[in-house]
Amino acid sequence: MLSVADQEEALESQRAVIRARAEKALVLANLNLHAVLPRLEELVKLDAHARELADALDLSVRFAVRGGPFVTLAIGHGTVKTSFDRSARYDVGLLFSTCDKLNAMFAGAPVTPLPFKGFLKLGRMKLFTELSNLLTRYLKPSDADMQSPEFRVKHLEMLLMTGLAGTADIARFDRKLRKVASHLPVGTMLVKVLPDGPSAHVVIREGADIAATNGPVDAPTTTLEMHGVDVAIGLLSKKIDSFAALGAGTVRASGLLPLADEYNALLDRVGYYLS
Amino acid sequence: MALYTFEKNKEMFVRATKVIPSGISGNKNPAFAVPGSFPYFAERGDGCRYWDVDGNEYIDFLCGYGPIVLGYGYRAIDEAADRQRRLGSAFNHPTPRSVELAEKLVSLVNGADWAAFGRNGSDVTSYAIQTAREHTQKRKIIMARGAYHGSHAWCTPGHGGLIEEDQQQILQFTWNRADELEALLVKFEGDVAGVILTPYHHPAFGDSELPAKGFWPEVRRLCDKFGVVLICDDVRAGFRLDLAGSSAYFGFEPDLTTFCKAIANGYSISAIVGREAFKNAASNVFFTGTYYTAAAEIAAALACLDELERVQAIPHMMRMGTLLQEGLAERARKHGLQVRVSGPPPLPSMTFANERDYRRMQLFSGECARRGVLLHPHHNWFISYAHKEADIEQALAVTDEVFGLVKAQFGG
Repeated sequence: MLSVADQEEALESQRAVIRARAEKALVLANLNLHAVLPRLEELVKLDAHARELADALDLSVRFAVRGGPFVTLAIGHGTVKTSFDRSARYDVGLLFSTCDKLNAMFAGAPVTPLPFKGFLKLGRMKLFTELSNLLTRYLKPSDADMQSPEFRVKHLEMLLMTGLAGTADIARFDRKLRKVASHLPVGTMLVKVLPDGPSAHVVIREGADIAATNGPVDAPTTTLEMHGVDVAIGLLSKKIDSFAALGAGTVRASGLLPLADEYNALLDRVGYYLS
Repeated sequence: MALYTFEKNKEMFVRATKVIPSGISGNKNPAFAVPGSFPYFAERGDGCRYWDVDGNEYIDFLCGYGPIVLGYGYRAIDEAADRQRRLGSAFNHPTPRSVELAEKLVSLVNGADWAAFGRNGSDVTSYAIQTAREHTQKRKIIMARGAYHGSHAWCTPGHGGLIEEDQQQILQFTWNRADELEALLVKFEGDVAGVILTPYHHPAFGDSELPAKGFWPEVRRLCDKFGVVLICDDVRAGFRLDLAGSSAYFGFEPDLTTFCKAIANGYSISAIVGREAFKNAASNVFFTGTYYTAAAEIAAALACLDELERVQAIPHMMRMGTLLQEGLAERARKHGLQVRVSGPPPLPSMTFANERDYRRMQLFSGECARRGVLLHPHHNWFISYAHKEADIEQALAVTDEVFGLVKAQFGG
């Protein structure tokens, strides 16, 4: 039989566990809507079938969690455009009652969101499901797909942008990393895969305001170069120790290293949530 | 001269990564210097020089990140340690050497009425804040933003393995801004146990900053006014500026002072000294470690402090550091480059004035290393008693050539 004091202590511990779970769900929901789903933009550029689907869809969709994050995707003419603007127009609105429900759907569970707009257009969402399945294929590839060098490059491009875009949400919502983010130096960081792999960059402004963009940037404050697609995939999927890779020379960091170091902590955290 | 290569260093590193996390942990990981143009593994040292596993010889301006204050293989220190080792070192009990070293520090150091020993700097900085908390029965600790006080959870600059609570009671202000310190003391009045500061600001990735006129007296006044313990973290600079501690050099009176680095010329020992008023609080903190009383290192510290005094090592390091600092500034000027040389001469530091991303510094440092001069790109440097004029001149000749490379690549 626990004493009252022991019971209170156990309760407080349980509350902390519940709080941590809720926080994790919130961060993950943000990542899913702000870092994962927007990768459809790149997908339709990399994959012909995805482009065809986007062409056929011609639909704008809002995904929203009640009292939480949302995103609007404008799909059509073979392109996808993402908006985080609440006033963006959309044809179909899908509401998830909780972050957990949204996250479950992203994890592949059969979740039915509540449509709150565009009932008559819901039928076209079948094509969207097909498109999102393609996204999953590129982000969580099968061993068979990874045999193809071309596929690996495309996977890397998606992985890179997912990671970089996700750091903005980590800086905003992750309780532990918010403090690290608050020390993040202002500047630009270029992430480049050598010799001719994909590149992307992040711009970090005051207040850990992070924006990730595909492609290179001039005169970055910090440069992170990864030698080869496999090294880059290994590093981004946390199968390679970044410090070991830096010492071995398969990864090279130059410029303002505290930016790379602190940013890497955010990037690591994206992997923690999405793994 | 043929430029150095680092093949065996890299091979050893690859071996290391298989059995050691990161290959080399912490600030000694190559990632923090110039990977590929910097040694990873040392083989042996002599005087102010050491050799890496490729057999490359360096004039060393990092001195093991500080501890080598007299020189590698300095006979008087090694003999003292060896003598004690033959008698035994890790006993069930301390040896009389502990008492002798405590007496030595009490007689030598500014504001020291007692002393205790650990192994590394973090041991004693953590002990210092515990002592402050015990003395005041308060929680918060104030430090300068960007300062390094060790790798324990309350102060580590790293991110992994921490929980929110680890650093929840740590507050930060800008070095030299006594007004910011006062604002924190007012805001958290009644909740602050201690202020821990290095005697001057020596952050990694930044210029060293000496205390502004009036800064230390104001810090002392504020600590007295708010009943807060003033801790001088002299781990890095201690015994390179003044044998009585850097507080004597800068003219202020701390309550507690921590030392490590230069205390024993490379033997693993750290120390804390304090004023009488804090002795009981220090007693109440359970401060121990398997090797805290190991006698060989304590014997080395005794010999080192004697030798620093006997050979007048500090004035020598001041002269050599000044030679290096002035020589660097002059050669940079000659090449039309702007550098900022900072820090007291025995702990010099240099950055290129027109950059914040350290790319010039990384090129400079890597190319110097490939020519046998070890100058870290992001951390202050150290001078030892073993550095003589000829070493400084030889190093400056290398920097002259490398400034030319920086100029050629960056244009200014």
